[in-house]
Amino acid sequence: MSLRRKLLALSALTVFLSVAAVTWIVSSLTRQAFDRADEDRRASLVAQFRREFDRRGQEVANRVQTIASGDTALQIATAINRGSPDYASHLNEARILAENQQLDFLEFVEKDGTIISSAQSPAAFGYKETLFSDVPLPATAFLHKESSREGPALALSAARTVTVGDKPLYVVGGKRLDKEFLASLELPAGMRAMLYADFGAEFSPANLISASLSASHPEQLSGLIAKVAQTNRDASEIVHWSSNPAEDELVQAIPLDGLDGRLLGMLIVGNSREPYVELRKHIRSTGLLVGGTGIVLAILFSGWIAARVTRPVEQLAKAASDVAAGNWDIQVPVASRDELGLLAESFNRMTRELLEQKDRALQAERVAAWRELARRLAHELKNPLFPLQLTVENLIRARDQSAELFDEIFRESATTLLAEIANLKVIISRFSDFSKMPQPQLRAINVNDVVRDVARLFQAQLSAPNRNPIACVLNLDSDPLTIGCDPELLHRALSNLVLNAMDAMASGGTLTINTRPHEQDATIEVSDTGSGLTPEECSRLFTPYYTSKTHGTGLGLAIVQSAISDHGGRISVHSVVGRGTTFSIELPGNMEKLGLAQSSSNATS
Amino acid sequence: MKRSALLSLVISSFLLVEVGTAASRPHYGGTVRIATRGAPLSLDPAQQADSLMSNNLTRLLFDTLTVLNDRGVLEPCLAVSWEAEPGNQRWRIKLRPDVNFADGSPLTTDVVATSLRAANPDWKVFPAGDSVTIETLRPKPNFPAELALSRNAIVKRGGALVGTGPFTVSEWQPGKYLALRATENYWGNRPFVDTIQISLGQNLREQMIRFDLGKLDLVEIAPEQAHRAEMENRRTSLTQPIELLALVFARDIQNPSDEVSRQALALSVDRATINNVLLQGAGAPTGSLLPAWMSGYSFLFPSAFDISQALQLRSQSRQNVNWTLGYDINDPLARTIADRIALNARDAGISIQVSSNIATDIRLARVRIDSLDCQLALSRVAQALGLPEPAVSGASAEDLFSAESSLLRSKRVVPLLHLRAAVGLSSSVKNWKESPDGSWHVSDVWMEADRP
Repeated sequence: MSLRRKLLALSALTVFLSVAAVTWIVSSLTRQAFDRADEDRRASLVAQFRREFDRRGQEVANRVQTIASGDTALQIATAINRGSPDYASHLNEARILAENQQLDFLEFVEKDGTIISSAQSPAAFGYKETLFSDVPLPATAFLHKESSREGPALALSAARTVTVGDKPLYVVGGKRLDKEFLASLELPAGMRAMLYADFGAEFSPANLISASLSASHPEQLSGLIAKVAQTNRDASEIVHWSSNPAEDELVQAIPLDGLDGRLLGMLIVGNSREPYVELRKHIRSTGLLVGGTGIVLAILFSGWIAARVTRPVEQLAKAASDVAAGNWDIQVPVASRDELGLLAESFNRMTRELLEQKDRALQAERVAAWRELARRLAHELKNPLFPLQLTVENLIRARDQSAELFDEIFRESATTLLAEIANLKVIISRFSDFSKMPQPQLRAINVNDVVRDVARLFQAQLSAPNRNPIACVLNLDSDPLTIGCDPELLHRALSNLVLNAMDAMASGGTLTINTRPHEQDATIEVSDTGSGLTPEECSRLFTPYYTSKTHGTGLGLAIVQSAISDHGGRISVHSVVGRGTTFSIELPGNMEKLGLAQSSSNATS
Repeated sequence: MKRSALLSLVISSFLLVEVGTAASRPHYGGTVRIATRGAPLSLDPAQQADSLMSNNLTRLLFDTLTVLNDRGVLEPCLAVSWEAEPGNQRWRIKLRPDVNFADGSPLTTDVVATSLRAANPDWKVFPAGDSVTIETLRPKPNFPAELALSRNAIVKRGGALVGTGPFTVSEWQPGKYLALRATENYWGNRPFVDTIQISLGQNLREQMIRFDLGKLDLVEIAPEQAHRAEMENRRTSLTQPIELLALVFARDIQNPSDEVSRQALALSVDRATINNVLLQGAGAPTGSLLPAWMSGYSFLFPSAFDISQALQLRSQSRQNVNWTLGYDINDPLARTIADRIALNARDAGISIQVSSNIATDIRLARVRIDSLDCQLALSRVAQALGLPEPAVSGASAEDLFSAESSLLRSKRVVPLLHLRAAVGLSSSVKNWKESPDGSWHVSDVWMEADRP
């Protein structure tokens, strides 16, 4: 990944994480704020419920007191003190009085619990009411489970005693805790109150009273209700009414106990999570929008910044790459005065100095080469010249001193002169050959064939009696190594390498030539077991006119390198002093060039 | 001066006696104002609900071929005679001559046949001269008594309903109001009153308020309110017990344990308390289908409350009993009685859930005894309760007792009470008479004349 992309990714990630962190923090703070507000609202509603409960209770107590103070209660009390009451005459009394006082429940009960008259259950006269069997009558209203025709119901009840004789009469009246009661509570927006009458061991949706529309899945409250029924303590949980989170409610259940402390019901306060969910959604949307915008802006801005930052670096990287490739004549623009600017200036100064050093080195090398050439030429030319000079001087002396031998001397001298002149021609032709190396004429050849020809050519010299024997070993690939190559040049190159090897093995040894394919290419290795070369000698081995030998022009390996390079190949040397040297030639297949060469040759013909 | 004063006193006394005599003497004219809970949408007897009020309304407008007198004896009405062919399945009824409908058209055998066919689709009725021949699907020894039922009243259909009764419709607002006027050329005796105004669909409370305000002359009173009405010095008229209140099981006995539980339920119901307290004494506890005043043998069927025996029977049954008890949702008294029965049953270890649903294990039924003929009444009660047709082998009381015993032995029904019907009457209504089955004799009523 490029530096620019890294910078872009880092910037975008930083912006995204920042926005996410801010969104999370805001959401958390919002939730906490909502939780606090919910708690306050719930506490307010519970307090309101208590107040309404007390107010209604006082109202019920007053109405029951009114009934207890009335003539009917007095008549019934008088009747039960006289003996067995006449249920028939009191059958409808409770109902009528309850209607008059707008009570849902009213019963006249004897001390032993016998019902004299009941508004909610007219048929229950003569049966026992067990409410007050072991609990003293409270002065205030209380929560009570009433039995009615519609089944058990939660009631806000009050009781009063009418005493005429020895047998007191209890007047027990109450109002149903129902939808109307719940509707009287002034609920804050988003809140609702329900009552659950806990009349059985199992949850029953029918016992759930709500002022508004009933919950679509009341059974979802069963867990909360069971928990409160078990612990008789407040409990709350978030109820998911549907898959829509906006319909979630934070529901709190508050136990409501009866006179004997037994759980009779629960006040269930539902607090809609819609505002919170909406706000959270809004925050998330905003966060996403801001985050998205931020990321886009970050990408653009980072791109711009990264471009400004990385462009000089990229230019420097490219320039360094060019320098590494040998193109030292390169400069990078200096666009700023910061560290990158200094780096660019330093780089430019470095390349300038490298160029100058290169020029100086080239010049020095050129001078050295010329000097070497001059030295070689002088040396090569001096050797034939000296016999020439001696022969001419000998000839002059012979003409002056031995006229009778002059002719013989003249002939011998002429022969010597011709031989030396021929020698001079050879020297000159070698220099000439090096100066005009021919371009390779590619043909499809088998490398192994060329290697065999060279080995065959030198076989006699390798085993010549006037020198120490050299064994020749050919490790040629079993398959033909066919490549596009000029066989003359390859032959000449290999011959030079074999000659060098022979020179290196004056004491004899083994000459090994290996060939092997490498994909479409061919590799040729020429190894000797001679004295070897030092690393310095290896590094200068292919320099023209350089030689480690006492004789030779120093052009042999230069010619070999030139020939191999002209084929697009590469030559390398590996040598260990005292153990030998190996030259490795890697020649390309050149099949494409061969095809082109053949087609051009065909076109020409 | 003294002489003139004495003369004035004599004249005044004479005038007062005259006015008083005229006010208490039968005379024609006046209007009877009636209110009723029922709100019929049709006056057709064949479509009337089976209630005492609808029966009485029908008899104001229409006549039947026969009538039963207060002793349950058949008397001619639009028919002057009847005879059965052997087997009591084919009857020949001879019509009364010179009877006209309210629209002036004569009573013919064709009209009678059409009317009877409409009310009884399974009868085959043929006009034959001055008679009609009626053929029933099965033998009916007391067929003439069946002809006395109000649903078999003769109606001339085809447009407005026309009858031969003592009154004719002068205004009809279905379900709301009915005004009748006396039929001047009634074949019997013309009624004393000229008109009757009937407000329909009035609940008992509204009726009583209007009655107390003097705006009504005749109102219905719930049986349980009759005692109170009397205590409050209202003029009331109570019939004989003419309604049966009973528990009817939806299914036959399933197993011996079920039979024992049904017996336990019958013993656990405190009929006397229900009658004394809930009905304020307006009924009569019973263990029979027909009331004692009709059959005379009602006391032979036990109706006593015996919770200990009920508990003993329950202990014999190892089966838990959870029954549902249905009641008529329009009858507030029925709900209270059902509640009481459930409480009583609970004391006997029987769980009963009171429900207003129709499909229940037990139904608290209230059936009117609409015929003074005992056999027909028993048959009609059995039919109304969904019981099998009683097999009455003869006309004797023993045969009737045997048939009723057979019905009760099935344990499909537990008779509880026979209820009376009550009406409130204003002091202006004179010569008020009712048959034991609650049928009014409005034709004999006359209204007190307005005092000057």
